[in-house]
Amino acid sequence: MKRITIDPITRLEGHGKIEIFLKENGAVENVYFQVPELRGFEKFCEGRPVEELAQIVTKICGVCPGCHHMASGKAADAVYGADPPPTAKKLRELFYMAHFVHSHIANFYALAAPDFVVGPSAPKGERNILGVIGKVGVEVGTEVIKQRRLAQEIQALLGGHQTHVVMNIPGGVRKGLSEEEREGVEEKARGFIEFAKFSLKIFEDVVLDNKTYVDIILNGPYSLKIHSMGMVDDNNKVNFYDGKVRVVDVNGKEHCKYSPEQYTDFVAERVEPWSYLKFPYLKKIGWKGFVEGMDSGVYHATPLSRLNAADGMATPMAQKEYEKMYETLGGKPVHNTLAMHWARLVELLYASERCLELAVDPEITGRELRARLNKPSEGVGIVEAQRGTLTHHYWTDERGIVTKVNLIVGTTNNNAAICMSLKKAAEGVIKKGVKVDDGILNMVEMAFRAYDPCFSCATHSLPGEMPMILNFRDPDGNIIRSIKRD
Amino acid sequence: MNTSFSDIRKRLILGVGNDVLMDDGIGPRIVNDLQRDLPSDHFTCYQTINLGGLEILEFIRNYDEVVIIDAIKTAGGTPGDVYILTPGDFKETCHLSSFHDVSFLTALKLGDKLQYKLPEIIVIIAVEIVEDLCFGEHFSPLVQQRFEDSYIEIKSFIESFVNRCTPLAELLNYTIEYGK
Repeated sequence: MKRITIDPITRLEGHGKIEIFLKENGAVENVYFQVPELRGFEKFCEGRPVEELAQIVTKICGVCPGCHHMASGKAADAVYGADPPPTAKKLRELFYMAHFVHSHIANFYALAAPDFVVGPSAPKGERNILGVIGKVGVEVGTEVIKQRRLAQEIQALLGGHQTHVVMNIPGGVRKGLSEEEREGVEEKARGFIEFAKFSLKIFEDVVLDNKTYVDIILNGPYSLKIHSMGMVDDNNKVNFYDGKVRVVDVNGKEHCKYSPEQYTDFVAERVEPWSYLKFPYLKKIGWKGFVEGMDSGVYHATPLSRLNAADGMATPMAQKEYEKMYETLGGKPVHNTLAMHWARLVELLYASERCLELAVDPEITGRELRARLNKPSEGVGIVEAQRGTLTHHYWTDERGIVTKVNLIVGTTNNNAAICMSLKKAAEGVIKKGVKVDDGILNMVEMAFRAYDPCFSCATHSLPGEMPMILNFRDPDGNIIRSIKRD
Repeated sequence: MNTSFSDIRKRLILGVGNDVLMDDGIGPRIVNDLQRDLPSDHFTCYQTINLGGLEILEFIRNYDEVVIIDAIKTAGGTPGDVYILTPGDFKETCHLSSFHDVSFLTALKLGDKLQYKLPEIIVIIAVEIVEDLCFGEHFSPLVQQRFEDSYIEIKSFIESFVNRCTPLAELLNYTIEYGK
């Protein structure tokens, strides 16, 4: 058996490795996706007051600090049995919508668009945000940076800092919003909506109007029939901040719907000897291996799964785009991995609209910001992170000192799905007689990039500019041929 | 060459890294210590962040001179060794290389394309580290052992221009030509 090694992965937070094992005839035997995991976080948290965790968890990751802050804040509420007042909840959600706007814009223009706007087989030097701007114009690039910055300004205003957020305290938030500040947020939110609509138009013009790209999305090796997870409100509409977690099966039928404190009844985690990262699965079905279909316990928690798991979007313009997406792709649920990019843009519009709804809500400038706390014990907080359902579970003693922590982070939910998507993509593009070049490797990478994975690992021990290395190894693991992308 | 006070530019000393991820936090630690130990002036700003890519672009724009202090891991490197790099001979440091959106170099090119006011000079100081995968508020033993040496070396370099009128580009004899 020969082995191909792609390491490190480009345009991905952290340092991961894709191992592709080939059969003697050149076909793909198996694919393993491996990432080093940050260690010791649970231990690091033990012995600290639970209210400190909301600040500490923003340092787990520089990409999703706001998500961890929100999940942690909700878990701390639960620990103290406190239900924040409406104004506090709305301020948190307003912050969170701005976080989604900022993150989804970055993902689309810096990570997803290069594959479509520039092209999946374009030279590596052009397949980046600079190439995108080269195609769509400098003024668009200026707007991308501007809208991201405005969203971050809202986060800094409400959160005290755009990254190291200090907003949440058990039972509420530290500070409110003045009328003058609210007016500024409203103006920004109106701009987000226009930019989200513009981004969807780019997607339509560049991707949907290109038959080759539509064919890649619908008929390429990028589809995976697994279950879909996402948070929904009381009307089963998508909600990022609050609600119940709903899972629909591969046919779109509800498999389960649970409150945060019930998560251990529905989700379990499997350990594989070849991966540092666990593999969550649906507990009532059980772990049946890396397989698709109704009987598999594998699910995904992504923008696409959130839309699959919901009955619609809670805002009008996003709802129209939601309907258009499913109509174009043949109805619900959609299992085409690359449709995650489209779903992410529908979510961008939802987050923008919701941002405006909250900015004009009369309660948003209310002064009641914190609920009374009860005796601390144990609590779970769940939010939808950009990269999947994020669960924080804390245990404390009677003084509120943390004794135990468990986290299931967004990308971890998708670990099995990413491995399976990579294998299907590799099987689809690496065949006997096909030269494995940079374009082919990128098409394999596209399978996991759609998940927008984030492993928050800062280890980079190679000199140079993040090369992509392709090693052919003999059955003993010796490199017999090597391709390096600089 | 005489330099008048009006030539003095806005300078940023930026420590990047995660201060709860052991050695990863060496950049912020050094910048905090520099701010404590060096005399303050009106044109040097000290900041620490745990970000990269497009975020760093937002931090450094509108400064004339930027010094970034980050951690680095090189094959066979000695913990505590200090490297002084420029974007021209840039090696990957922990926070300037693989980010969720774009690399530091791509971010600089983007800033140039968008006609941002970018620094005339950027210096990257990288300190060789050992452990950045484990949470902890202390350095690994080897990095801790050499920390004082590393700090003195960096402080000596920063002292050569902080609180002085001389532009950093003049001291180091280079400027960045964006777009090349």
